[in-house]
This record gives sequence, C-alpha cells and structure tokens, in this order.
Amino acid sequence: MISTGNDIVALSAINAARTNQHKFYSKILTESETPLYNELSLAGIPFEDFVWLLWSIKESAYKFLQRHDAGLVFTPVKFVVKELHLQPAYIIEKFDGITEEGAGFNGYPALTGIVTFGKVELHSCSLLYDKLISTVINDTDDFLNVYWGFKLVSDTAHENQSNEVRQFLIERMKCLYGEFDFRIDKNKNGCPILFKGNEETSVPVSLSHHENIIGYAFRG
Amino acid sequence: MTRTEILDELKKVIAPYTTNKEMLASINEQTDLIKDLKINSANLVDIIIDAEAKYDIEIDYDSADKMVNVGTCIDVISEKLNEKA
Repeated sequence: MISTGNDIVALSAINAARTNQHKFYSKILTESETPLYNELSLAGIPFEDFVWLLWSIKESAYKFLQRHDAGLVFTPVKFVVKELHLQPAYIIEKFDGITEEGAGFNGYPALTGIVTFGKVELHSCSLLYDKLISTVINDTDDFLNVYWGFKLVSDTAHENQSNEVRQFLIERMKCLYGEFDFRIDKNKNGCPILFKGNEETSVPVSLSHHENIIGYAFRG
Repeated sequence: MTRTEILDELKKVIAPYTTNKEMLASINEQTDLIKDLKINSANLVDIIIDAEAKYDIEIDYDSADKMVNVGTCIDVISEKLNEKA
C-alpha cells in the first residue's frame, strides 16, 4: 500500500500529571501495550513520554490507512503497538536545533516499532527528544524512501502552523525535485494532496503540527 | 437535560482546547471539533475525560468514536445521561 503517515507531539504542551492518570492513558493504551514500558523505563523515559509516543505511533498509522479508507475513525485502542525497540545504550537526547530533516533514520537514535490495526501490520520509526516526539509510519521496516522533517516555529496560531508546514514540505520538494510550482491542498476527506502545477501527484504526503512544532513525511 | 442545556455546558468543556473563540461563540450541532474549532487531535482525549467528569458519565470507545461534531457529542452525552437516570 503506497501511503504515509506522521505525527508530532510537542512535549511542552502535554499535561504530564493528567497523562499519568489511569483514566487518561487507558483511553490510549491497551493492556497488552503497558508492558512495553518496562524496557523504556530502564532507559529513563518518563511514563508520560511513553504514552504520547504510542499516541503518535497510533495517529501516524491512522493517517497512513485513512488515505485509502476515508471512513476510518481514529480510535487509539484499536491500533495496537506490538513491538517497540530502543537502540543500545539509548538516552533521551536534547534537541537544540530549529530544523531536522532526513530520508530514513540511519544515524538517528530512532525507536522502531510494529503497530497493527486488525490484520494490517505497519512499521514505525520515532524520534524522541527532550521536547518533542516525531513519528512516521511505513508498510515495511525499510524507511530509506521515507522523507521526513520537523521544525520549531515561533507563531503557534493554527493558521500559521498550517501555512508553515506546507511551506516547509514544499521547500524540501523543491530541493529534491527542482523549482516546480508545488502546492498542497486537502481532499474532501481531509488528506493532504501534493499538486505540481494543476496536476495531482501520486506522492503521498502527511502533515502534522502541535504547538510550536511542525512536521511532514512523504514517500520518495 | 435538554440539548440546549448540554450544548451550553459543552461549550465550557471545549473552550480550553480551541483558539477559535469566534467559532466557539457561534457553534451549532454541525460544528466539527477538528475542522471548524481547530482542536488538536491530541486534545480529544482531554475533552472526553472532561465531559465524563462534568456529567458524571463514562464514555466508552465506541461512543467516543462518534464524537466528531457538536451534535454527535450531544447525542452521546444525552444517551449516557439517560442510561444513568
């Protein structure tokens, strides 16, 4: 299935105390997922970061599937994270930059996972820094053809985030494919579609923003 | 509670999670939580939990699925209040 899905969580915007309450996280996690925290806790990852990491994996997987199933509803507990792997000697790194972009995750401290929705199995790659979580989803565990980026912005107004994330993605497209007249519109189902001039491209793109962080993903 | 009474209280539940205060002031049953009120999906769980506390009800996953616009939120809250009565 050719698709893509991403999600961004700004950790400064989450309510850690509320996230740690069972009545909150039980609306996101299933019982089978809670043991996945054991390994992450040993690496010093706070429980609230774990909850939002799984949220970002689930929401990214939803976006990946919704492109081909417009009626799909996002129910976090129906997306089940089966595996979550940390790199050896993992520690949460500080993110001191403004922008990060890549293709695949070689050289990055990515957390890899497998998430299922019914019989569908998808693969996740997430970056967890001190201030953000960025996740992308693919239908294989090879992410080399998955392009991604995230950026810190100063204006958190919804319209600005929406405009900035489009511009951010278009600049990457121009770097890769040349100075074409790219634009992004949403279709009637809310899926972002990349246009080159007036022509709809077949490149699946995904956009996300949360507070002061915007991010994109697409399949190259 | 009537649908109008539920709507008035629901506005208070939603208020902290939308920056579109103009739209909030004029919401109707067709108002979409994400598309119209620009509520971040990460806050939908907050709204469900706040609604549970406000009305002393429990909203299960299947009911939460339906809460995409103001009208369906009122439907779910009304249904849960009736079950409790």
